[in-house]
Amino acid sequence: MSTLTLINLRKQFGDVVAVNDINFEVADGEFLCILGPSGCGKSTALRMIGGFEMPTGGDVRIDGVSVVDQPPNKRPTAMVFQKYTLWPHMKVSENIGFGLQLRGLPRAEIAQKVQESLTLVGLPTYGNRYPAQLSGGEQQRIALARALVLRPKILLLDEPFSNLDALLRVRLREELRRIQRQVRITAIFVTHDQEEALSLADRIVVMNKGRIEQIDKPSAIYSSPRSLFVADFIGTMNLLPGKATNGAITLGEVRLPAPENQPNGPVTVAIRPEELALATGGGNGRNGNIGLWDGVVSQLMDLGHYRKALIDVQGVGLVKVYVAKTAQLGEGDSVALYPLRYMVYTEGAAPAEVRQQPIEGVMVYQ
Amino acid sequence: MATLTAPQDTSGLPTFRVLARRSFAAFLRREGFGLFALIGLLIFILGPMMSVIFWAFADRWRYPSLVPQVWAWQNEAEPWRFWTETFSRADILRGLPLSIGLATIVTGLSMLICLPAAYAFARFRFPGRQLFLLSFLTTNAFPRLGLYVTISVVFYQLRLMGTVPGVVLIQLVNTLLLMIWIPTAAFQGVDRALEEAGLDVGASPRRVFFQITLPLVLPALSAAVLLTFVGTFYEAQGAFIIGIPNVRTLPVIMYTLIENQVVAQYGAIVSLVLWVPSLFMLMFANRLLRGGYLTAGFGV
Repeated sequence: MSTLTLINLRKQFGDVVAVNDINFEVADGEFLCILGPSGCGKSTALRMIGGFEMPTGGDVRIDGVSVVDQPPNKRPTAMVFQKYTLWPHMKVSENIGFGLQLRGLPRAEIAQKVQESLTLVGLPTYGNRYPAQLSGGEQQRIALARALVLRPKILLLDEPFSNLDALLRVRLREELRRIQRQVRITAIFVTHDQEEALSLADRIVVMNKGRIEQIDKPSAIYSSPRSLFVADFIGTMNLLPGKATNGAITLGEVRLPAPENQPNGPVTVAIRPEELALATGGGNGRNGNIGLWDGVVSQLMDLGHYRKALIDVQGVGLVKVYVAKTAQLGEGDSVALYPLRYMVYTEGAAPAEVRQQPIEGVMVYQ
Repeated sequence: MATLTAPQDTSGLPTFRVLARRSFAAFLRREGFGLFALIGLLIFILGPMMSVIFWAFADRWRYPSLVPQVWAWQNEAEPWRFWTETFSRADILRGLPLSIGLATIVTGLSMLICLPAAYAFARFRFPGRQLFLLSFLTTNAFPRLGLYVTISVVFYQLRLMGTVPGVVLIQLVNTLLLMIWIPTAAFQGVDRALEEAGLDVGASPRRVFFQITLPLVLPALSAAVLLTFVGTFYEAQGAFIIGIPNVRTLPVIMYTLIENQVVAQYGAIVSLVLWVPSLFMLMFANRLLRGGYLTAGFGV
């Protein structure tokens, strides 16, 4: 059992509060991602878990035991850093075996464990090479091997793939997940890349300005973001400011049904591009109907297996919609938009979801 | 790159000799200034050196001859007489081990004091750090002789004049700049993540320093130690003012010989002997220079 608990963890640098009393628990064998923009405090939080920063307040507990007083060389954690992780003056096998050597293991056993580690990360013949002879991806894999060979309780990863090119990142992501599942180790992965977090994590902790915005499974974070920040940060989202009055929301010249018990006042409506249905040939005054918006195709972008359309809706602005590759659409066409599902964010209240039934003649992007 | 296929009709084309002359002329036009500067430099540097070398190996050299009339080995009665005389002088026989010993002690003490200080400069951000680091420039900001003379007043009161500890102290001060700045930059060049990774796998801070940090800064450190040793070995002003009459290092003896002796051979021979360690050291330093460590050392 290797659980991690953060209790009111806080870090202050003078007047700047980098980490503002965060709390969460990580279960044994769970892959948790801490996701957030630069400067949100995620790396600082990770470093406090690893022992490289002293918390200003709060506690870090591994398996229920506080480790805050332990220096990093005594903690049962292992960290994979963002860059320059391997010691350049030692061979790969010496890099991996360094920690084992410190523990006084016999040479034969060290060699065996090192070889097992290398095989685990898919580089069994690399023992005698020097880090300078390895590519970036290979170096990070060796860094991972070095961390795992010591059988730590918690594996910490600080944006390990951010210095690698996109294709490599995707491959190593899958490798990492496979290895983590195989070894069944509790892992904490810090990243600013929401795609990485969504594809890797069992749960995601979204952080912003030192606080936790939401902790949830990736699907829940994507479909039900708890705050405007999360809605904006994860995936692509249309954020449209409007006003709620007596059960309806007005966005410029278009109207939308409001959720139940919606108080009057300013709101922000968040709609995913794939949850907007599109009907060609608008402009016949359907705007009077609640829910149908007249618009003109401003821009069409071909993105491989789908297309992204920017629709200029009068009084609302540019709305992003995903349309199928085969759709007969061109720039300048008149279209009508129909939101199938959207979130309504009100200041001081919980976000609410509204679903609408699709209506006839309106094309839904699947 | 010229190809080897012969053209069919060679009647109108220039001959090889013409081509060679032309390309040489073009070469001169391109590189002429550089060549001129190089030759001028060689004359200015090699010229005096050749003079010293000739004097060292001369038995008799009178104006207006360009080379010695009688070379040292050509003297029938006493071949190499100046050499035997020089190396039978008590002060020279004492001077060589003294110089080497002093340079070693000063370099050793300098390492002991400056290396931990350099690590502190590199890793800790304490108030006044930048100012303190720059303050080591002050030893180079003033004419050394003036500083030495004023220091000697203090040394007189402390009874350090004419003693080995006195010379050690004065030469130590000269080494501070190099032995702090280069190692500081070298330590800064070692990414903190490398040291943290060491801690992370369970090494104590001491072990991290000796097994991870030190091997990585060794080239730059060696360069600094080398320059310090050579610089201290040749240091004559401080050693002269503080050391005489009891402590006379070889460079000091060389200067006195050159200034006071009518016969030029003695000074020339000692000069030549003093070149030898410098030559070895600089050949070694050349290897380090290629690694860019010395230039990296000055990026504070």
